[in-house]
Amino acid sequence: MREALWAELLKARRSRLPWVTALAFGVATLVCGMFMFILADPARARAFGLLGGKAEISGAGADWPGYLALLAQAAAVGGLGVYGLIVVWLFGREFSDRTATDLLALPTSRTAVVAAKFTIGAIWALLLALLLTGLGLLIGALLALPGWSAPGAVQGSGRIMAAAALAALTAAPLALAASVGRGYLAAVGVLFAIVFTSQVIAALGYGAVFPWSVPGLFAGIAGPGQDPPGLAGLALVAATGVTGAITTAVWWNRADHTR
Amino acid sequence: MTNRPLRDAAMPVIEIVHLGKRYRDVAAVDDVTLQVRAGQIYALLGLNGAGKTTLIRLLLGMIAPTAGTVRVLGAAVSAGDRAAWGRVGYLVEAAAAYPELTVRENLDVARRLRRLPGTSDDVIERLALTPYAERRARTLSLGNLQRLALARALLHTPALLVLDEPVNGLDPAGVAEIRALLADLAHQHGTTVFLSSHLLAEVARLATRIGIMHDGRLVGEHDAGQLDRHRRRHLRLATHDDAAAHAVLRAHGYHPEPATPAGLLLTDERALAQPERVATALVHGGVPPTDLHLQEEDLEAFFLRTVGSSRKTGPEAGTGTYPGTGTGAGDA
Repeated sequence: MREALWAELLKARRSRLPWVTALAFGVATLVCGMFMFILADPARARAFGLLGGKAEISGAGADWPGYLALLAQAAAVGGLGVYGLIVVWLFGREFSDRTATDLLALPTSRTAVVAAKFTIGAIWALLLALLLTGLGLLIGALLALPGWSAPGAVQGSGRIMAAAALAALTAAPLALAASVGRGYLAAVGVLFAIVFTSQVIAALGYGAVFPWSVPGLFAGIAGPGQDPPGLAGLALVAATGVTGAITTAVWWNRADHTR
Repeated sequence: MTNRPLRDAAMPVIEIVHLGKRYRDVAAVDDVTLQVRAGQIYALLGLNGAGKTTLIRLLLGMIAPTAGTVRVLGAAVSAGDRAAWGRVGYLVEAAAAYPELTVRENLDVARRLRRLPGTSDDVIERLALTPYAERRARTLSLGNLQRLALARALLHTPALLVLDEPVNGLDPAGVAEIRALLADLAHQHGTTVFLSSHLLAEVARLATRIGIMHDGRLVGEHDAGQLDRHRRRHLRLATHDDAAAHAVLRAHGYHPEPATPAGLLLTDERALAQPERVATALVHGGVPPTDLHLQEEDLEAFFLRTVGSSRKTGPEAGTGTYPGTGTGAGDA
C-alpha cells in the first residue's frame, strides 16, 4: 500500500482542497472565538457592532469549558460537511477526471488504492482537528477566558478530537456514493441529504440511533438537558465507518468499471 | 520489476474464448473467440458501439464477463488476480491525467503504482514530452495529453500493450511517430500490441492481424499481409460497341457481367492477372478498348462490406471467424 499512499499524498499536496478545508476550519474556530467575545461582554460587542441592538445571546458560558464545548460542536457538525467533501474529492475525482481506469489493472491492488485514499482522508481529518484545537486554544488564551485549568483543557481538547473522529467515521460511506455515482455530483447530493436528515432526526429526539446525528449529540449540541448518545450510538458510528470503507473496497473490486 | 517481452511466438499472449458481456437484453460482446500471439500487432476494427472498448475492458479485468474466459500472458483475468498486470501497459478510451500534476508527476504516480524503480526521463524523451515535462497536465493540448497517456502505458516496456484508439487527437506527424514507435516495440522488443481503432488506413499500415467487430461480434479476422486477397478487384473497360465486346470476351472464355452505361466489368482471375490479354483479344475482335481500369476495393469499402454482410446474415448465422475454423464472412 506504500506506493498507493505516496501517490495519494502527492495528489492531495498538489490540490487546493487542503488549504480550502484548513481555511474552513480556521474560520469556524474564529467564529467560535468571536461568539465567546460577544458572550463575555454583550455591551462591548454592541459597541463594536458585532451584536444587534436588541439581540440577546444565551447558551454557552463565556468561559473555557463553554468555549471548548462549542469547538467540539463545530468539529462535529462542521466536520461532517468538510470531511464529507474530502472523501467525495478523494474518490469522486478519479471518475470526474477519468483517471479511475488507470488504477484498475496494476500490480498495486484496488484494495490498496482504496485503503490509501481512506488513510490520507484520516490523516487529513486529524490535521484539521489538530488545527481547530490548537487555534482554538490560542484564541481562547488571547481572549483571556475565565475558568482555565490544565485537566479541563486536556479533557475539552480530547472531546474536540473525539467529536472530529466520529464525524470523520460517518463520512466514510460518501466514498461509496462518489464511486457508485462516478463523480462528485451524486455524492455531494447524498452529503446534503445526510446533513439535513441528521438535523431533523436529532431534533425529533432519535439522534442517538442515527449515526450522522451522533457526533453532534456527543459534542453536546442538543444542550445540557439531552443524554449523550451512549455506547450503542458510538458503536453505530464505528460500524458506519467500517461498513462504508469495506463496501467501497468491495465495489472497486467487483463493480463493472465501464467509465 | 522487469518485464520480459515474450519471444515464444507459439504462446498466445491473449486468449479469449467464447467471451460474452450482456447488459440485460443488450449483448455488448457476443461469443467472441480470438488469440493474439507474441509479437503480433492485432488491430480491432469496428464502428462506434461495435463493442471494441467493452472487449478491451473485459480483457483488462475492468468488467466481469457474463460468459467465456480471458487469459492474458497465461494468467486468467479477474479483478482479484494481478499476476499479469505488471507486464501489461494500457490506454483505454480518452486519454486522462491528474490535471494539477505535471507531466513528470503524472508519470511518477504511474511508476510508483507499477512499483518501478528509476525515473521517467526515458519515456518522456521517447514520447517527445521533454518540453512539457514540468507543465501541469491541465495545460496540455489534446495531442500531448494523448502522448502522456501513451507514455504511462509504455513506462515499463510492457510485454503486452493494450491501446484503445491510440492515435486519437494526434496530428499527422504524431500519428506517424506513434506508428513507428509501436512498430519498433513489436519488432525490436517483441512487445505484443492489441489495439482498437476506426482508422482503417492507419490500421492497415501498422497491424499484422486485423479483427473486425460489429454488434458485439467478431465478424472477421485477417492477416494484414493477406488482406489484399479478400479485397474485391475487377477490370472495368469501355469500348465503342460494348455488346460486341461482350460477345468477343465470352468467345475467349471470359465471363463479363452484362454491359451497363459505365461499360463492362470482369472479375475473372485470369482477366485480373493479365489485363493486357483482354485488351489484345478485344483489338483482335475489332472492338479495341477505349478505357481499361484494374480497380481494387479500398479498405473502407472492404470493411463496410464485411460489416454489411454480417448485418444481413444476422447473429444467428454464426458468421464469426474463429481461430481454426476460418469460415467467417470476412474470410469467405
